[in-house]
Amino acid sequence: MSVSTAPETDRDQSTQTFSAPEIPWDLIVWNDPVNLMSYVSYVFQSYFGYSEAKAAELMLQVHTEGKSAVAHGSKEKMEAHAVAMHGFGLWATVQKGQRRG
Amino acid sequence: MAKAFTAGRRGITGYLEPAERDLLRKLFADIVVILEPATPAHEDPLAALIGLDLDVSVPTDPALLRLLPNAVKDDADAALEFRQLTERSLRETKIGALRAASLGLEGEKIVLDADAAKLWSMALNDVRLVLAERLEIRDEKDADRVHQVQDWGDADDVESYLSLVYNFVSWLQESLVQAMMAGLKSGK
Repeated sequence: MSVSTAPETDRDQSTQTFSAPEIPWDLIVWNDPVNLMSYVSYVFQSYFGYSEAKAAELMLQVHTEGKSAVAHGSKEKMEAHAVAMHGFGLWATVQKGQRRG
Repeated sequence: MAKAFTAGRRGITGYLEPAERDLLRKLFADIVVILEPATPAHEDPLAALIGLDLDVSVPTDPALLRLLPNAVKDDADAALEFRQLTERSLRETKIGALRAASLGLEGEKIVLDADAAKLWSMALNDVRLVLAERLEIRDEKDADRVHQVQDWGDADDVESYLSLVYNFVSWLQESLVQAMMAGLKSGK
């Protein structure tokens, strides 16, 4: 038994934590010239439970930048959100999240 | 003339003339026809149970594609696989909202609780998406062009008529959403 083993194991564990393979997925909502700004805000508020301010901010991002990542999480969750957005008539897609930071 | 929706103690109320109700009923029915699947539900009970539909393909009608868009961008295989698992139930959701909205058109006075208002807003939105596709609204400039058409006396061709209908449905949806937002704010 060597004393140096313990610190090495520790280092391994911390590496595993940092390189966790689970990169969250993004739900992207795309701009279009048809959906009313008020309606998009309403959907973000009522479906995701976002505050009025957050919903308005995301809606404006969709409007001015052409798209916005409005939710993040597991692939399955984002897919369910995409179907719900399509139910509301918003165009949404799912994609693997970009690593941030 | 129709009256804008307002939020009150008994929910959201609006008022529509008989001709306006007839128009909306026809529009809702038209979209239901567009959305009805070409093939019956899968005969394999297990496939039907999980909603898997291998006959599904990307819609060729751009209006239908706008109602049932791809959920994965730049990956046709992944988008099709997603469609096989979800498209049939999405069609059913939309048809359900359109039928519910149509049923709410029985009287001149429209009274909606929160759930009914949500179904109405979805139905009106789908009508607008299809009309916008027919009117070739692709960007804000096109939207402005259609918005300019405001006088029913000018309805002398299909495009101006559709523009007027689009503007009417847009106005109705905007007033409904404002009433729904007022409801959200007051916590109803």
